[in-house]
Amino acid sequence: MAPTSTQHSALGPQHSDTVINVSAFVKRYKKYAAVDGVDLDVRRGEIYGLIGPDGAGKSSLMKAIAGVLTYDEGTVNVFGTLVDSERAAERVKQRIGFLPQGLGLSLYPDLSVEENIDFFARLRLVPEQELAQRKARLLTMTRLDKFRDRAMKNLSGGMKQKLGLICTLIHEPELAILDEPTTGVDPVSRREFWAILAELLQAKGMTALVSTAYMDEASRFHRLSFLSSGKVLASGTPAEVQMLAPGLMVTFEATPQLDAITRLKTQYKQVEALGSLLRVFTEETIHATAMQSITSSLGDITPVQLRVDEPELEDVFVALLLRQGEQPTAVEMPPATPVTSNDALAIEAKGLIRYFGTFRAVDRVSFQVKSGEIFGLLGSNGAGKTTVIKMLNGILPPTGGEGWVAGVEMKTAGEAIKERIGYMSQAFSLYLDLTVEENIRLFAGIYGLDRQETKERLAWIVSMAGLKGYESSLTGRLPMGVRQRLALGCALVHQPRVLFLDEPTSGVDPIGRRHFWDILSRLAREEGVAMLVTTHYMSEAEHCDHLALMYAGRIVAEGSPGDMKRQVEKEAGQLLEVATDQPGLALRRATQAGFSGAALFGTKIHLLSLDPPQDEARLRTALSSDGVHVQDVLVRPLSLEDVFVYRVMVLERQEQATVKEAAA
Amino acid sequence: MMHAVRSPMLQAVWWRRISVMIVKELRQLFRDKALIGFFFWAFIMDVYLAGSGTSMQLVNAGLVVHDADQTVSSRELIYRFHQPYFRFDGLVDHPKDGLRRLDFGDDIVLLDIPPRFHEMLASGESTSVQMQVAATHSPQGLSAASYGARIVGEFGLEASARAMGLSANGNLSLPVVRSDHRIWYNPNQDESWFMSISEVLTITTIFAVLLPAAALVRERERGTVEQLLVSPLSPFQIMFPKVAAMTLVILAGTAMSLFGILHAIFNVPMKGSLALYFAMTTLYVFTTSGLGLMAATIANNQAQVSLMTILVVAPMINLSGTWTPPEAMPIWLRELMLLSPLHHFVNISYGIQLKGTGLDILWPSVLSMVALGGALFGFGLWRFRRQFR
Repeated sequence: MAPTSTQHSALGPQHSDTVINVSAFVKRYKKYAAVDGVDLDVRRGEIYGLIGPDGAGKSSLMKAIAGVLTYDEGTVNVFGTLVDSERAAERVKQRIGFLPQGLGLSLYPDLSVEENIDFFARLRLVPEQELAQRKARLLTMTRLDKFRDRAMKNLSGGMKQKLGLICTLIHEPELAILDEPTTGVDPVSRREFWAILAELLQAKGMTALVSTAYMDEASRFHRLSFLSSGKVLASGTPAEVQMLAPGLMVTFEATPQLDAITRLKTQYKQVEALGSLLRVFTEETIHATAMQSITSSLGDITPVQLRVDEPELEDVFVALLLRQGEQPTAVEMPPATPVTSNDALAIEAKGLIRYFGTFRAVDRVSFQVKSGEIFGLLGSNGAGKTTVIKMLNGILPPTGGEGWVAGVEMKTAGEAIKERIGYMSQAFSLYLDLTVEENIRLFAGIYGLDRQETKERLAWIVSMAGLKGYESSLTGRLPMGVRQRLALGCALVHQPRVLFLDEPTSGVDPIGRRHFWDILSRLAREEGVAMLVTTHYMSEAEHCDHLALMYAGRIVAEGSPGDMKRQVEKEAGQLLEVATDQPGLALRRATQAGFSGAALFGTKIHLLSLDPPQDEARLRTALSSDGVHVQDVLVRPLSLEDVFVYRVMVLERQEQATVKEAAA
Repeated sequence: MMHAVRSPMLQAVWWRRISVMIVKELRQLFRDKALIGFFFWAFIMDVYLAGSGTSMQLVNAGLVVHDADQTVSSRELIYRFHQPYFRFDGLVDHPKDGLRRLDFGDDIVLLDIPPRFHEMLASGESTSVQMQVAATHSPQGLSAASYGARIVGEFGLEASARAMGLSANGNLSLPVVRSDHRIWYNPNQDESWFMSISEVLTITTIFAVLLPAAALVRERERGTVEQLLVSPLSPFQIMFPKVAAMTLVILAGTAMSLFGILHAIFNVPMKGSLALYFAMTTLYVFTTSGLGLMAATIANNQAQVSLMTILVVAPMINLSGTWTPPEAMPIWLRELMLLSPLHHFVNISYGIQLKGTGLDILWPSVLSMVALGGALFGFGLWRFRRQFR
């Protein structure tokens, strides 16, 4: 089902300021078509997004455009030059900057920040004088100037990516091709990255083609293409894409939740449980009828706190994928052991401390997780999340403090603790060269299950994780989503009461992610499994019952997702989205007018306001005096990402203030 | 290591854990097509090539002669430098031309026969020939020199006997000491025996160090080791199955070499007990893999592990007496080599296969290997535990 806008841009006359034109592009790896007939048209000055899960074909397409990958069919035109040979690619390479995928992979770990920049600049024959100027400006802008002499390998993930961006743009290319620059980078660094990119592009009139696996970043692009399995499912401006799957999101509470979900699933394809909330996508476009149809499909269960919103782009993508025929595999949870103990504490951390050398990675962390609760641990890279999990798991001994897991003290319990917990680590950690069944049997054997138990658990895992038909496939050949469910199954083979999940869904497509969370909430609700989850996807944090935000090894905020949003709303106000005709200028004016938290979000400006009507008026006057036309100002609900960024920024500012005080 | 064993039930679980881990290792190994290919090449083709291809003896050494005499006697002397030891490449007009051929590496011996060679011999005077030998490849050069000296010596003896009026074949009444030697263990002096056994030792060593080390590092690289660490497996239960699985595979490889190549093609005998031989190979592989596991706890990735393997294995093979006699080494090095499991296994392997010795003679080597293996494996285990702290 190709949307009409795609065809239009491909068949229509080439725009005079077209930078990239790709048509009927096909790239095969042996027989497998990674990209299968893609059209793309990128115009001067825009940030064009390629969005899609791992394996959608984004990287292949970008490499071909950058001239470092051959392709099988179709044409690729860059700056009007047909890139079909190495020689043709050489002609456009000087005008392109390419940042390949992978955190810091294009940089030299043992060189310092400055040496890396110098190397790339000299490679591109940038005159020394200009280099000095550009370097100074870029380093200041990215706040890396303090780290000039630090070796690249000692930078944090977000800093590495910023350095990568500098090295890509140091020769001031007309076109920047950035392959998943924000993957694995925490939300604060991500926002910063986007702000820098937007500023640079505007200042130099550059064009950028950027890919991302984070669906919630889609709204940051001027135009975008949504890729899935090598094909374009949708393309256009965010607003145009939104129109492709018209509908509304209805959010409410309903008890009993599981019955409500069962009833809703008969009529709606997108039903999500977010903690105590339910979120349903309906194709109705009128608020009243949307609410009405939900209420009627729930029967005798009455929804409370009903709320209707415009869908997010991620919801639209899921709707498009579902329309494509990708059916969400129904989760059939086989009958399980009834929940015996409720409200019992499953995990308790009391003042956990961990040093690495003199560095305090975890600083007096305390929290509690009850049975059947999903507890989310959020934080930037290096905030100490994984260290906390490893200590509670018994992999890493704490320097100080206590931890109780499933009723045992982790320091004294030794091996006993390990029989009561399940763990799914950051990287996929099953054997790729074993089949699905062999993996499950291996872990059944490790946990000491006998033959009969192994058989029962194997059947349970296969049906729980929707692995039917995959039993004898090699794990390495499975799609990411299926792999993650298998990993979950293996972590559950011995029916642990406590489950640790360390960034379980990196790289999984949105449908796979929703399916995964479906399973998690059922495990919590039906079997009373307690879960401790860390995630970078802020949209996923909404699924948790309780959240804790970590910063520099400490827990700095805690509460349910709703609580956390309300707290920020009380402290800093509501989120205003401002649409203008000159976003760059508008942002500068807004910042000068005192809206310090203002940030560019695609073509729109986001800012927090304690008093929306008054601030709107103030902003409109400030902008119109500069001739900026304000098209629209909307109050949008805060996302958890906004909460996260707000909290961390406040802390960073405090930290800087204390550093300055100490210096003075 | 059996600390976890308390009741029969727990014991059953303990063994089940070990066995599922061994099965897992074997499965992973057999799915690695490239490794399997390398494995067959090493244990079959490499051993065959080593046994049939190379020789340390003097064979086919290039010889040029500057014959300034051109008589019966000089031709007779030249004739005695014959195949298979020497290859006569012709005469040169001037010694300089001969030296040039040595420079180019075309020949390694230049024999210079002076004028009046025959005349002086016939008149009973002393004379000498000059032999110039290229010794860049020293064993070959030294053999050529000593063979040459012997040939010239014998020729001289006969010449003097003739000069004293005795025929060369006639009854010589001069006192002569004749050496009668008998060769044990390899009566035909068949070099392929030594070469092929050495090659099996070399390959066993390489695989015993590399396979478990690579398996452990791969687990760390892919992050699978974390999943094992949070499970109730002890470090011993993680490491031992790797060694056990790789030992099984290497024993299979040794059997292939032994029966398929050594026995079938080169007729290498198995004088001692076959069971003892395999038991000793098992002990050796276990001991050596301790070395690999230790390397794996230091290395960060598979490339580093491979490099470290080369670094560890190359001196082990060169200095443990596989290819060269340990007696020829300086004393401090010989004592250092007592720490190499291969040094002991060389004794055991040659002993059982060629000499037919048993434990009554080999026990010191066996004990040393047990001690070394225990220490290495224990140290590897300790390092493995520590690196996650």
